[in-house]
Amino acid sequence: MAISKDIYRALEDVVGAENICNDPLIMPSYYSTNFAAVTLPKNTQEVQAIVKLCNKYKLKFRPICTGWTGGFAPDMVLLDLRRMNRIIEINEKNMYAVVEPYVISAQLQAECMKRGLNLNLKGAGANCSAMLRGHGHMDQTTSGDDRNHLAVEWVTPEGEIVRIGSLGASDEWFCGDGPGPSLRFLINSAVPPGTTPGVFTKCATKLYHWPGPAAFPVTGVSPRYTLKEIPPNFMLRYYSFPTPEKMYQAESKIGEAEIAFELMGFNMSMVAANITTSNEEEAEVFKRLSKQVLGYGFMVIIAGNSVEDFEYKKKVLNTIITQNGGKSLEAVEKDPEIEGILLCQCIRVSASIRETFRAGGVFNSIPIMGQRDLTMRWSIGAGVAKEPLIKKGLIVDDGGMAFGWGVENGHVGKTEIFCRYDRLNPEAVKAVQTWQKEQTARALEGRFFASGPPEQIGPLVSNYHIWWRKVQNAIDPNGVASESGALV
Amino acid sequence: MALEDYRGDIEMCCRCSTCKFIPMQMVTGAKYANVCPSIAKYNFHSYSAGGRLNIATSMLKSGFSYSDKLLDIVYNCQMCGACGVSCNYAMDMQVIEPINEFRMKCNKDGKTNPALDKVISGLRKSGSMLPVEGKRGDWAAGLDIKDATKEKVDVLFHVGCLMSYDKNMQKLAKATVKILQKAGVNFGIAGDAETCCGGRAYQMGYEDDFLKQAKKNMALIKKAGVKTLVTGCADGYQAFKVLYDKYNLKGDLEVLHTTEYFARLIKKGKLKPSKKLEMSVTYHDPCRLGRLGESWVHWEGKKIPGHRFMFDPPRVYRKGTYGVYEPPREVLNSIPGVSLTEMTRIKEYSWCCGAGGGVNESNPGFTQWTARERIDEAVSTGAEALVTACPWCEKTFNEAVKASGSSLKVYDIVELLAKAI
Repeated sequence: MAISKDIYRALEDVVGAENICNDPLIMPSYYSTNFAAVTLPKNTQEVQAIVKLCNKYKLKFRPICTGWTGGFAPDMVLLDLRRMNRIIEINEKNMYAVVEPYVISAQLQAECMKRGLNLNLKGAGANCSAMLRGHGHMDQTTSGDDRNHLAVEWVTPEGEIVRIGSLGASDEWFCGDGPGPSLRFLINSAVPPGTTPGVFTKCATKLYHWPGPAAFPVTGVSPRYTLKEIPPNFMLRYYSFPTPEKMYQAESKIGEAEIAFELMGFNMSMVAANITTSNEEEAEVFKRLSKQVLGYGFMVIIAGNSVEDFEYKKKVLNTIITQNGGKSLEAVEKDPEIEGILLCQCIRVSASIRETFRAGGVFNSIPIMGQRDLTMRWSIGAGVAKEPLIKKGLIVDDGGMAFGWGVENGHVGKTEIFCRYDRLNPEAVKAVQTWQKEQTARALEGRFFASGPPEQIGPLVSNYHIWWRKVQNAIDPNGVASESGALV
Repeated sequence: MALEDYRGDIEMCCRCSTCKFIPMQMVTGAKYANVCPSIAKYNFHSYSAGGRLNIATSMLKSGFSYSDKLLDIVYNCQMCGACGVSCNYAMDMQVIEPINEFRMKCNKDGKTNPALDKVISGLRKSGSMLPVEGKRGDWAAGLDIKDATKEKVDVLFHVGCLMSYDKNMQKLAKATVKILQKAGVNFGIAGDAETCCGGRAYQMGYEDDFLKQAKKNMALIKKAGVKTLVTGCADGYQAFKVLYDKYNLKGDLEVLHTTEYFARLIKKGKLKPSKKLEMSVTYHDPCRLGRLGESWVHWEGKKIPGHRFMFDPPRVYRKGTYGVYEPPREVLNSIPGVSLTEMTRIKEYSWCCGAGGGVNESNPGFTQWTARERIDEAVSTGAEALVTACPWCEKTFNEAVKASGSSLKVYDIVELLAKAI
């Protein structure tokens, strides 16, 4: 649907002629959808004006940031938030940062590290919005998901500007729940559809203590960057265990002892992906390293606040690993270059592209939340279900392993398993989709939180979807806000 | 190769947006995180490498059609290759090659840019990318330089259009001559017989004109019996070393940038920078000397059926790893009194000066915007001078400095080296 000249002009009056486009030839650059128009608002007021126009003309709209996720109905107005890219404030005393949507995590993290602070880098990558909801490698010490969001400035689906939490009462960003309106259930929908109707235009995110240097001493030339030296009081190791139960016990004990800066349950395929610079190298390294591990494993980063703290944490770690029959991977322990690469990948890059997209350009994943020992059992079953696909050559051989970690040193966390495949192979596409559907159903049967249509999940969780729909209708009476996909 | 040949590559784009930024572990703060001038200036995703590839994917499926906006996107790109470096940190796929093929397809379909047509028209008439006044070799009058077309020389100094015809840039050619003479190199120039390398025509999408220039140059070189060519122009360097090789025209000609050659002479003790230049500088890596200056890799193979984007034999990607990064720094560090402070965006993820890809001719405002970004970054280092190794970069930066009122000085490395010997 082409929008009328009058509507186009009205939108153009808001953002300026150079910041709106409805040329159908450029739309595929965003997604394979014909948008009514793409707009580039510069600030909250422009977002609000666009949203109000969408209500006036009954046009669906959706915001995007760096733009990884899809879910776009045709003929909607796209708000590309690229021009909203300012770090508004880094509050060192109260340990939070206020950002606009197109500040990427790498930028905010670099600024924070200079101040002895850090943030939760989401698994989607340092290349994504710093205000993104989600989980990441550093969940042990920087929490995850909506627990990191404090006050938020939100343009509702009708175009009201709502300042949530302390911002609504005192112009302060320190809390998302009050004093002031707490709408956490609305803006941080953790269950599908997972998207808040409307647009977040500013958000405060929690910051955490960073025990490392102001900047990593990166050396080398792309794609092989490493560290000139491992920063003082830092250590990265990979441990594998004789059984998943032993691994969980070790993970749990490390959490209880609060000694790990990061604990990431990488499987060997992901380690191989992260330390290599090509598909060929990755396949070879995966085969080689797989022979050197006992089975399930995880990567640990120890970061000491002092020499004494560092020594203490290492000692506790060694005790836990020994007690649970863990084995350190020599390729990491004996090679500072690989240790440095992984430190960069896991702390600054957030790893994900090499381990997910490089193989075939696409992957399908099932992330679930829950108690780690239980979700790990689910993931073992999901891995077994992958084996026939691996044998048929439909997906990348990653040993059928999952990955995951606990959040805030706890026993609850994220467990995820994915398949990488060639999207141009219809047999592979079908097989992976079937696997995903069946294993998601298994997760839901186990009462784990998994992604899926609200109508499927709602009945399992107090029929929340019925209430959610009512709330949504109340705040979006014209039905113009997008309902699908996360804001990545 | 044609755009169709890169179908598998462009379909690999996962739309992660890393092509917009320098590699993530190199981001040092809120500023200077951008790597692609085009998306940084114009903001629509279509101007990023990912956006361009996605459009190409769509058109390969549904057929090619053009609009003013699409052509604006196509031609507002310096073809600097920074997107590819950032993408290829994690991904195995060609990036700048399909973008280049897209532009060449536009050209072949008659969708050219009028400003570029004008430049190419001049090239066809005069063998120069610049309007011609006088003869190409006039700058060399009185310098006692051998004519390589008539005398046997070990090294041919290819001067290039800008240093030959732009009176403000001829100083770089003269400085280069001074250094070569000081080192006792048996070198010569082609003088009035020299012609454009064709590199900038290639960047603009005029493949046939590039090939004509390449063939003319290689015929001259063959006739002169020259084995080594030295140039101080990054565009020329990339053309002779990389593009001529891509089209199997280079043969066994050794192509060196002046900074590579001078670093070699300094190591051998044939050049001894001894005069002190008290100066704090920062260095700008020209795109076509740095990331785009790495050798062409001849490869033919087939995709291995299966779930990974892999080939038999394994495909070698040019990821910017082997560009010329150290020789310019070695030369600078060899000059007594010069202290080098690096900018945030350097080497393979250097920010472009803005002059490449025909943008200087088709959209000078965008070139200046891009250059001002770099001037700002250079100033942030506290250096008093920005040093580069390409006349196009120097010219562009000088114009940006003048427009911005900055007190930053701009030099080519050869100017400093010539002063120091």
